[in-house]
Amino acid sequence: MASISIDNVRKSFGAAEVIKGVSFEVADGQFAVLVGPSGCGKSTLLRMIAGLESVTDGDIKLDGRRINDVPPDQRGIAMVFQSYALYPHMTVAENIGFSLELKRVGKAKIRAQVRQVADMLQLSELLDRRPSALSGGQRQRVAIGRAIIKQPRVILFDEPLSNLDASLRVQMRAELQRLHQELKPTIIYVTHDQVEAMTMADTIVVLNQGNVAQWAHPIELYRRPTSTFVATFIGSPRMNLIRGIIAGQEAVPSFAAAEGWTVPLAGSTAARGQPVWLGIRPEDIRLVDAGAAADLSCKVAIVERLGAETYLSVVNGADTLLVRVQGDVALRPGDTVQLALERAGFHLFDQTERRF
Amino acid sequence: MRQSSRAQAAAYGFLTLTLIFCLLPFLWVMFASIDPNATLFLSLPKAVTADHFVKIFTANNGGRWFFNSLVTVGATTGLVVVVGGMGGYALSRSSAWWKRPLLYAIILIRVLPPTALIVPLYKVMLIANGVMGALVRGVVPADSTRAAMRIFGFVDGYLGLILVLSAMQLPLALWIIKTYFDLTPRDYEEAALMDGANGFQRMRRILVPMALPGLGAAGLLTFIGAWGDFLMPLTFISSAELQSLPIGLFRAFTRANTVDYGYLSALAVLYMLPAVAAFGFARRFLVRTFTGGIKG
Repeated sequence: MASISIDNVRKSFGAAEVIKGVSFEVADGQFAVLVGPSGCGKSTLLRMIAGLESVTDGDIKLDGRRINDVPPDQRGIAMVFQSYALYPHMTVAENIGFSLELKRVGKAKIRAQVRQVADMLQLSELLDRRPSALSGGQRQRVAIGRAIIKQPRVILFDEPLSNLDASLRVQMRAELQRLHQELKPTIIYVTHDQVEAMTMADTIVVLNQGNVAQWAHPIELYRRPTSTFVATFIGSPRMNLIRGIIAGQEAVPSFAAAEGWTVPLAGSTAARGQPVWLGIRPEDIRLVDAGAAADLSCKVAIVERLGAETYLSVVNGADTLLVRVQGDVALRPGDTVQLALERAGFHLFDQTERRF
Repeated sequence: MRQSSRAQAAAYGFLTLTLIFCLLPFLWVMFASIDPNATLFLSLPKAVTADHFVKIFTANNGGRWFFNSLVTVGATTGLVVVVGGMGGYALSRSSAWWKRPLLYAIILIRVLPPTALIVPLYKVMLIANGVMGALVRGVVPADSTRAAMRIFGFVDGYLGLILVLSAMQLPLALWIIKTYFDLTPRDYEEAALMDGANGFQRMRRILVPMALPGLGAAGLLTFIGAWGDFLMPLTFISSAELQSLPIGLFRAFTRANTVDYGYLSALAVLYMLPAVAAFGFARRFLVRTFTGGIKG
């Protein structure tokens, strides 16, 4: 297995620069996820690592060796395509064994290895079928089998679960994790789904408009997003952002929301009078009974009762806040609620949307 | 109710009449080809004979005509499928600004009636023939120059006819194959590239099998189009031994004084068979049986 280092990599298509100097590293055996909104350049970056796109500038290194100009098949990298791209005229066994066949491996040896991979992926019964006779999840597994039979140093996944329905996606997520634990390959996985990123990754690279917005462990990303972009992209439902300024005394600063309410801040480094964004996750807002100490009161706009938890969309002037409440809460739109904000869950961002 | 069933009966009656009208020429040709006393009028043969067919191969050079047709049209089909396959692929994958104008220019060639261009075309071929003649004389001993030119000549030679027929059939084939490759995602090739397939292997193992229906359709239309072409062999072939089936059929019809309808029909049947066979052969490629490699 292998480590990958991306060093100030750039990619231009004509005059348009889509990757603007990206750097990060993936350690040996790590499961790295590139995540970002569509058009952020994550698939392009993955294709550059695979060798399907040229590198305009910067270095891609595999185990310290520069591979910018190494042909795709000699990099020791396998790729699972978003569309799977299973060869429709070949059986499952032929699809999985194709790369070995091209390497002129003996027929008996190919058969043995294909069988081994198929056993691991529960495809043994399907080896003689063509891709058209398989379900979505089975096709996905064949695509993975085609990648791992090469015993690659790195496996790249390009949004592999986006064509599956929700329940199958959860199942395949677990299978991918199991596979990663068994084989311990280095994995770079592209997705726009932050849930996939959070559940599977050892390390997440958040990309935005061709730049790395943040590169960290999933929980670090969740706890300490460095910008409002990462703050709102990671976490579901998304973090609330409230516009306001720093007010109060030097020793006891407070946040004064543009909508009129105030909340004390513990140890803020921001200067008084400075306009800021206060970020707070929906789970860090609590409902409190009338009469108890509350930070602000809001009007309920939308109630989503999921049983185990309830999402409330509440309105305070121009701000709409999302509140995540444990258990079932029988509120109705139009009701007034008292909210308390968890001080530990405060994230302050300056006007350039960077974290203080 | 009664009204509608009467209307239905009328509709079926009309359709039946139309069907018979359409089938008549085929029936006439079938019957006449085995009728010893075939006339211009449709009639059930009172006796059955194979004499007309035998006559094609004995009294005339029918076997030779058939062979000539098969060679020229077969080579045309092969050439068009190979060139159209590669060109269609390139046109599909290219994103050059001139792609669309070029595609329309190509189809324009097909739209222009060949008859309108036959004179300048003949002139061009004559010049090319002169060059080829000089080349052949330089390489081949003098006593076999004539035989070599029958194969490599641009006028009154196989090669010339094959190239002209191919040029006529290529535009449509390019369009069909290009459209087909448009529907074949690049992912397959990239997957094969990642699997370690070189250019030739990607073509032979991935692209050609996947494009088979498109190639089959283009090949079939090329074969049928070239097989049915009359003007090109008439214009570019003059030697009796290079004459092909449509010309033989034409000469049999325009022969002086009497028309031998039985012989003519037998020749027509013979002329139709390969087209039917080509259809039967290509039919299995035409249905796109391969789906499901992409997406779920």
